[in-house]
Amino acid sequence: MENSHVKLLAFDFHSLTQKPCSSSSDPFNFFRKGKQVSRIETLGVVVSRDRKGDRFLKFLIDDGTECISCILWLNQLDSPYFSRRNPSDVRIIAQMAKDRATDIQLGVLARVRGRITSYRGALQVTVEDVFIERDANAEILHWLDCVKLARSCYNVSTRPSPLQALNDQSTTTVNED
Amino acid sequence: MATCSSAIKPGILVTLQDLHTTSPFLKNGASLRVVGKLQDFSVEIAVAVIVDGSYNLKIDTQHLRNFSFRVGSIYQFIGELLIKPDTEAVLQARIGRNVDGIDLNLYYQSLQLLRRFQGEHMSD
Repeated sequence: MENSHVKLLAFDFHSLTQKPCSSSSDPFNFFRKGKQVSRIETLGVVVSRDRKGDRFLKFLIDDGTECISCILWLNQLDSPYFSRRNPSDVRIIAQMAKDRATDIQLGVLARVRGRITSYRGALQVTVEDVFIERDANAEILHWLDCVKLARSCYNVSTRPSPLQALNDQSTTTVNED
Repeated sequence: MATCSSAIKPGILVTLQDLHTTSPFLKNGASLRVVGKLQDFSVEIAVAVIVDGSYNLKIDTQHLRNFSFRVGSIYQFIGELLIKPDTEAVLQARIGRNVDGIDLNLYYQSLQLLRRFQGEHMSD
């Protein structure tokens, strides 16, 4: 779960807990029922958009259970974060971000993938990818995916593999000796 | 339930059948998301009527921009319910979408599943 885009309904997303983290580039780690998650895939209707020039676009996705705040950065050409990268690559990344910002209009059904971040204590998604869904049934299938994955995967407690359990046992035995 | 990070509330998914007189969803100012077939649209007052079986709902569309209406098409609206004394409820839409092609049977079944899942999650 830690390295994949977890499909979560918005109300589930807002139940994530955050803990400060000093060893990572991100200041917080995020957990769902004790399991760490870092990336999310959400799908819903864009119900607000607020563009701050060439800096960023902030928008809200309403999936029918809650709203998720998303931020799409548009400042790649000026950002020191990208200064060490190949300028032609950065120009392509910047153009892709601008195209995505144009796609995000009120009322569209958007599938958004991104990193889970926190701004002033509130959870948000830092956008990596946007896809505008044309099929009205895509949202229904997303709900069903989220429910199925939660029940069959995300809610299932992980047990150590038999090999891992054997190793743990032998380590304990050695230590006892 | 967690709230939106902004003042915009999520549109709670409801069917037109859910909006009966004793329904907990039928509250003035409630943010709802509804779906139905467009039965009528009055350009003069920007009011649409959507239907689902024998149930219907008036939609105030004055805040929607660049939106075209086609009678017989299926639309989804997100907005706030306005209930005045002695008048029928009207949804003041802030978002409208044409959802032609939607499988309404699957939509309603999935909605029940979603509500059950949400209830289970909340009780955990």
